[in-house]
Amino acid sequence: MTDTIQLFITCLVDTFFPESGEAMVRVLNRAGVQVEFPRGQTCCGQPAFNAGLRQDARPLAEHTIRTFEKTRGDIIIPSGSCAAMVRHGYLELFKDDPPWLGRARALASRAYEFCEYLVDVRGLADLGAAWNGKLAYHASCHLLRGLGVDRQPRLLLAHVKGAEIVDLPGHDECCGFGGVFSVEHPEISAEFLKRKISNLDLSASPTLVVADTGCRMHIQGGLVRQGKPQRVVHIAEILAGNGEPK
Amino acid sequence: MSNKFRIRIRKAIANTNLQIALDNNAQRRTAGRLSAFASMPDHEQRRQRARAVKAEVVGRMDKILEQFIEKASANGMIIHRARTADEAAAIIIKIIQQSTSAPHPLVAKSKSMVSEEIRLNEALESAGIRAVETDLGEYIVQLRGEHPSHIITPAVHLRRGDVGKLFEEKLGIPYTEEIPVLTNTARKVLRDVFLTADVGFSGVNFGVAETGTLVLVTNEGNGRMCTTVPPVHIALMGMERLVPAMDDLALFLSLLPRSATGQKLSVYTSLIHSPLPGQTRHLVLLDNGRSALRNSTLAESLYCIRCGACLNACPVFRELSGHAYGSIYPGPIGSVISSALIDPQYAYLSQASSLCGACKAACPVDIDLPSLLLRIRAGEVAITKGAKPEAGVGLPAPVKLGLKGFRLGASSSLIFSLGQRILGLGARLLSPRRPWMHLPAWTGWGLSKEFPRPAVKPFRARFHGSEPEETVLTGKPDQVAAESRQGLSEPDLVEQFASELAVVGGFMVRVKEKDLPGLLAEFLQARGVKRILVDEVGEKVASPLEALGISLIQEPDSSVKVGLTGTLAGIAETGSVVLLSGEGDTLKASLLPEVHIALLKRSQLLPTLEKALVMPEIARAASGVVVTGPSRTADIEMTLTIGVHGPGEIHVFLIDDL
Repeated sequence: MTDTIQLFITCLVDTFFPESGEAMVRVLNRAGVQVEFPRGQTCCGQPAFNAGLRQDARPLAEHTIRTFEKTRGDIIIPSGSCAAMVRHGYLELFKDDPPWLGRARALASRAYEFCEYLVDVRGLADLGAAWNGKLAYHASCHLLRGLGVDRQPRLLLAHVKGAEIVDLPGHDECCGFGGVFSVEHPEISAEFLKRKISNLDLSASPTLVVADTGCRMHIQGGLVRQGKPQRVVHIAEILAGNGEPK
Repeated sequence: MSNKFRIRIRKAIANTNLQIALDNNAQRRTAGRLSAFASMPDHEQRRQRARAVKAEVVGRMDKILEQFIEKASANGMIIHRARTADEAAAIIIKIIQQSTSAPHPLVAKSKSMVSEEIRLNEALESAGIRAVETDLGEYIVQLRGEHPSHIITPAVHLRRGDVGKLFEEKLGIPYTEEIPVLTNTARKVLRDVFLTADVGFSGVNFGVAETGTLVLVTNEGNGRMCTTVPPVHIALMGMERLVPAMDDLALFLSLLPRSATGQKLSVYTSLIHSPLPGQTRHLVLLDNGRSALRNSTLAESLYCIRCGACLNACPVFRELSGHAYGSIYPGPIGSVISSALIDPQYAYLSQASSLCGACKAACPVDIDLPSLLLRIRAGEVAITKGAKPEAGVGLPAPVKLGLKGFRLGASSSLIFSLGQRILGLGARLLSPRRPWMHLPAWTGWGLSKEFPRPAVKPFRARFHGSEPEETVLTGKPDQVAAESRQGLSEPDLVEQFASELAVVGGFMVRVKEKDLPGLLAEFLQARGVKRILVDEVGEKVASPLEALGISLIQEPDSSVKVGLTGTLAGIAETGSVVLLSGEGDTLKASLLPEVHIALLKRSQLLPTLEKALVMPEIARAASGVVVTGPSRTADIEMTLTIGVHGPGEIHVFLIDDL
């Protein structure tokens, strides 16, 4: 059985980390899934929505709905927060607009976060991936608490051959990204980041796995600033790996 | 965002002492809450039931409030309603002035966040009334001329050295960091306040509509003192703090202490109905923006039971503590309600969150705090006075402008992809070697992290269709073995009671009825006790002791060290005993002495709190209390100290009558 999915790559992966987007496609292909990429897509509108500028979020949400309405199949989103935006945020954004609310609901029912899709929809745990060394997993806020997805990425990682999964102290604590929060409250954000990085040090893992690109960009940015050697990778890059160091 | 807020943020983060105190608070409180909930396997169902009860209360507030007022008035309480903070303060001042002819009346105050909301202490002071906070944490912040920095732990921002210095300066004791010494010093000062106060004042944790009960949850015993010792008691309550019936109360009591302090039950759960003999009780019900909240998209915030769990879970609160927020209600819930209850300007607090959702996860009634914060950011507020804030309230102008620009760029995929290319190439020119670019601190981002260089070739330019692989992976995810819960056998009630009581620091002695006088005499003689304070049951049981030279006292007397009382019931799941006013002065005999002996018959032992709370005797009594262990406090550095205002020892003599 070959299914076709629509990849909503998210603006951050598209613009900053295209390699991790390519890894997602490889993983999905390996899972026997045909990947389509609707070219009209841009951003889900979460930054403006989270900032309270709903009038500015709305056109982007409408644009996203229109773009994906033209397609069929499940919509796979490699980011907990963007998936939560489509699943929950849109319902809030259009709560007073019944026609759009209906369209948002229809879209939400097709949307899955990447790990959630692989485990819960495809029924997969072992993607034949291999990794050489320790891995620590950071549970992103919107993935963990917004979507309740935690078991799935951990299950996928547990099946990566050769990988030693180690505990990250405070694994469920926010890294301080929070979208505009990271620029609007830089002092507070910096403190969260400091704690996250010192917990990563404690884990003794050279690699931190995340399933949300916002956290990746934030934590890696902090590591580079502090001159630390650890790397942050998207879980798709681990799942696409064959054990060779990259 | 106000610049003052940013200054307070920077000050809080730079204060090492404060940061240590806050880290300790976050870690201990979170661990305490999680372990307390681990003992209650159905906690998620309870949480959802509690949420449904609160939704009903807020939905039918007028009816439920009416029922509560009717019942409470019939019980003999005098009810006052206040629309605003100023009205409430004026009502309270008037009651105090009419209750006493003292030129400068003394009010013993038990902890009440609503009194902070209406700035009662300031109002009382300007009316020439002396109010003394009697909760240890509140007393400390009052002596410092501050307001609480946490709704449950008022002195969370302080460490023991701060309190030592304060007491040295204000109370004239030698400097010490010994928490028991500090606590005992406050105990002595405050004991006089309780005994001489003209009026006792308290907040209210829950009002029970069906029975008109005021419920007060405390650990130190000051709440019991303020509501039983002075001749006048004034309670102040937000009008939303209602539950329909006693079984609902049991549900909420299983959640509140666990969430607040990690206890199964607080030491004292007072259940107040009528004035005690010779006492007058007033209840002031406050609106002050609650009706507006109820009619707004923030109505869910009225489900709050003020446990403080969202503050302890919040990583922003962990950096700031309450004072930096400016509002007396800090943390996630404070950022939602402060603009409605305190001052419209506090709408900007809604931006002080990374929306991480730890607050919602910790909330015992599952309030969707991140969504409510988002609504305020979008300008959906419940403000009755002043101008409504705009969408994006609190956002700095450049951020707003940036997001508006982004909207234009992302509304069309053509512009978007063009923008990506320009950014990618531009960044390559600016930072040809480093894939992570250095931004200056003023950008916000650049304060603590580097920024990724956009790709020259974004994903959309790289994707040219895909082919699924031939070897298709199929399978079922590993079945995570469902934790098999062993069928719990009916626990032995006595054993359960004894072990729960031991956990909270109480003692149980199992005794046959005929051996009771002998055992009591032994207990008292071992401590050299010659006089004991008794209620009616205590008197009956102890009368043979008079022959041994032990005198039984009925009138409270501060020199008596041991109180002996009967009980209505024992609760096995929490190790508690239920005491009622009525048969002699049970409430005082169990509160004023340093040692409390409670007489409990085996047949009075009940399995759960719920079974106890629905006993009709409770609703008929003027006042009752569920006592769970000795009086305690953790107000200084969350270090447990036993014996504050109530007894430091509780011994339950369990009489085998079955």
